[in-house]
Amino acid sequence: MAEFEPKIVAFLCRWCAYAGADLAGTSRLKYPPNVVPIRVPCSGRVEPAWVVDALRQGADGVLIGGCHPGDCHYVSGNYKARRRVYLLKKILPELGIEPDRVRLEWVSASEGKRFAEVVADFVAELRALGPIGAGSDASRVTRDEESTALRGG
Amino acid sequence: MRAEDEARPKGSPDSMGPTPYVARHENSASPVTRHASRPKIAVYWTGSCGGCDVSFLEVGEAIVDILSQVEIVFWPALADPKREDLEAMPPGSIDVALINGTIRTEENVEMVELLREKAKLVVAYGACAHLGGVPSLANLSTREEILGEVLGEGWRRGPPPGGPEEDAPPDLLPRALPLSQVVRVDYTVPGCPPPAGLIGEFFNAFLSGEMPEPGYVFAKAKALCEECPRTREERVLKRIVRPHELLPDPEECLLDQGLICLGPVTRGGCNAACPQAGMPCTGCLGPTPKAGDPGLAMISALASLVRAGEEGEEAIPKEDEILDQLVDLIGTLYKYGVPTFCPLSPERERAGVRGKASPSPVPSQPGRGRRKGGAA
Ligand code: SF4
Ligand code: SF4
Ligand code: FES
Repeated sequence: MAEFEPKIVAFLCRWCAYAGADLAGTSRLKYPPNVVPIRVPCSGRVEPAWVVDALRQGADGVLIGGCHPGDCHYVSGNYKARRRVYLLKKILPELGIEPDRVRLEWVSASEGKRFAEVVADFVAELRALGPIGAGSDASRVTRDEESTALRGG
Repeated sequence: MRAEDEARPKGSPDSMGPTPYVARHENSASPVTRHASRPKIAVYWTGSCGGCDVSFLEVGEAIVDILSQVEIVFWPALADPKREDLEAMPPGSIDVALINGTIRTEENVEMVELLREKAKLVVAYGACAHLGGVPSLANLSTREEILGEVLGEGWRRGPPPGGPEEDAPPDLLPRALPLSQVVRVDYTVPGCPPPAGLIGEFFNAFLSGEMPEPGYVFAKAKALCEECPRTREERVLKRIVRPHELLPDPEECLLDQGLICLGPVTRGGCNAACPQAGMPCTGCLGPTPKAGDPGLAMISALASLVRAGEEGEEAIPKEDEILDQLVDLIGTLYKYGVPTFCPLSPERERAGVRGKASPSPVPSQPGRGRRKGGAA
């Protein structure tokens, strides 16, 4: 069987992490093609609901990339992002999602290499975790299907 | 997106508190109602505490007026109707069935399917029917864990000794479900139990024939904070406390005082009854359409508010200390909506909430330990 290729949704702040991803591209660095980048104004703009939405819609992992501490274009958005991810990771198991599927990383605009490394590392970790929802055949059913199934037995 | 955003029934301005019940036939310019004769209503309870049935009395004297305008054809809490009585009614012969309680047994399913067939309109009445409600917190344990804990090891379902087979109690479903996961629901009157103003709003609309779009939830689309009289100033959270740990200041916003008040993500419509009494909102009217998932919306808000002095790398350990004061995440953030917002327990098991699936029947302390939440 072909190796499992995890799908990653990456919310990248436009000032640092997205620019870092760009640099990785323009410097022709190789990194796994598993990432779908989404540019956001700031890591502090990323809502926990978006992260869970991405995971519920089939992403195997979500990467949030922001500026290093002290470098956020909006001063403290990345600190807010950190607190959100901290709480999110506490509640994810309760929602049936492994917390390791969410990663927050600081990547500056000049760190193309670091971006490539972060992605490679995350892909390896997600490969080890396996596809989201595996191991429970009920995990992909919609609420309607679920209730019908429950009523059937 | 949802109809309830726009389509509020006439006579319920969003800016004011819940509309008290108005006897339309006495003071309305157009006394004609949609109903040629007195509309037939049914009220039924499934996995219910009984509070919803009693809540009708909350509207006060107006109940006399409401009851004089309707014909009650089925209401187990009032009379003693039998299932056969309901079965004998022609399909669609009941104008509205108000159903409260969570769906927990095979019998619940059969009864609400029967009511759905007999009623033109089905209303999810109360938080249990709306979102699952407090009894659906039981979904944090499996059916086998629950039965084993209550009945002891070696339990089996059956009739009382010597009794006929049909006297066996109905089987439990694997999980508790909100009404909408079992039958089509036309309207919702939310709350635990629904507050008088919203009950009145429903009957005003129903008896006058001016019902909003199907799917409407009889509460505000705006957040509870907008109708809460407490003053918000600081908007900074320096600690998180539980209700028994604090005698709150009578004026100040409870969230600002460190209590987890779900006002920012919960529908208005109760006049902030709990915050006015010094208790944080626990979210019984359900999340606003904007909030969507109440737990995720709330952790987003909390993370924004928490401060341990000047933000920076040095503050991080102290910030985490404050965030760690948020305990019992499901009970606090999803008290009324586990089956609506939190998925199946096998996934939770897999994600390490309870570790290995326990062999049934049951460990002596089902589900203990998971309250600490996952590793951060
Ligand atoms: S919604 Fe509240 S009052 Fe109504 S049955 Fe459920 S627990 Fe009881
Ligand atoms: S006490 Fe609760 S409902 Fe009132 S303003 Fe504060 S957060 Fe909102
Ligand atoms: S602008 Fe990059 S994290 Fe805020």
